[in-house]
Amino acid sequence: MAIWTKIITLFRGAAHEAGTAVVDANAMRILDQEVRDAQTALLRARDDLAKIMAQRKMANDKLADKKAKQLEYSNYIREALARDNRGLAQEVATKLATIEADIATETKIIGEFDASIGKLQTSSRQAETVIQRLKQQIDTVKATESVQRAQAALAAQHAGTGAKLGTALDSLERIKQRQTERAAQLSVAEEMAAHTGEDGDLQRRLAQAGIVPGESSADSILARFETPAPKALGHDSVAQLGHADSVANKNG
Amino acid sequence: MNTPWTTESLYEALRSDSTADLEGVELNLVGGVDATVSIVMREQGDLAMQLAVSGEQIFVSSPLCLASQVKDRNAFNEACLRLNPINPLSNLGLQRVGDEDLYIVFGELSSRSPLQAVVEEIHVLADNTLQAAEAFADQLK
Repeated sequence: MAIWTKIITLFRGAAHEAGTAVVDANAMRILDQEVRDAQTALLRARDDLAKIMAQRKMANDKLADKKAKQLEYSNYIREALARDNRGLAQEVATKLATIEADIATETKIIGEFDASIGKLQTSSRQAETVIQRLKQQIDTVKATESVQRAQAALAAQHAGTGAKLGTALDSLERIKQRQTERAAQLSVAEEMAAHTGEDGDLQRRLAQAGIVPGESSADSILARFETPAPKALGHDSVAQLGHADSVANKNG
Repeated sequence: MNTPWTTESLYEALRSDSTADLEGVELNLVGGVDATVSIVMREQGDLAMQLAVSGEQIFVSSPLCLASQVKDRNAFNEACLRLNPINPLSNLGLQRVGDEDLYIVFGELSSRSPLQAVVEEIHVLADNTLQAAEAFADQLK
């Protein structure tokens, strides 16, 4: 079953009709019909299979009967011979011969039924596979068509605006642009952070120098109150006051 | 076996499942009889992809480039065929869209796939499309 050949032929037929779907509705109907035909064939094969299996069962029942008879007649022969009734044994033996011939025939028929059943089962399985593949192909074509229609609709939206249908190329361009923008934002932010950093450093040094109030403002305050102290207490006390030292020097 | 998705049921599941990793993925149900899900990858340059379910198949398609954007069609076709076998999970194809030929990157999944597999397909397909576009950059106008 050349599904691919059929689909490719369908493609060829429709590929150059601008704006139309790949496979037209007619072609789709043909494929659908093909699935239905295959399904009908499969049902027929299953029907045949059921019939043959019934016939096989009947043949098998008959065989079982004959085999039971064979056992029964064999016992009769043994019994008749044991009682020295050779004439009766002979009569039963003739019947047994017919039964054994029947058994051979039935066995052969059952073997033939089994072969047919095997073949029908194989072809049913094959038909099922074909149907499944054909259905998958149809599903793929249908899904592809829906997507294609959606893309065509998108393209139509762009058509009036003079813009092209957006592709990965546009997305790549957009990604690059956004990366550039982000990089620019980042460098501005970094610069701002650096400025704030510089200012912070200056503030710290100003505070250290006692020009603006900084972290050590408590010490500065204390020093301010104790500034007159050196004059009264002498140099020993000044050394102990630490920060007041520089203030004292400046004053001196 | 799971119940197969339809385009509508898959769209609803993608939207309502909070465990699905779909940040920056915009989804819209488009169309009536044969609906599709329009997907816009906000974090991947607004790449616009389409998804449709039909019977046993989920089809996800992403636009690579227009045939009119290709410098040398023969060379490009060969490059696509050579890339295809080593392209993980996605395929390259050519489709008539409107009145133009469009190269697409697409993926197909069973419509009985778990939601997580569909989400992964969406991400992988977007990645593969952008990587292919980047790889083919010097063959495109």
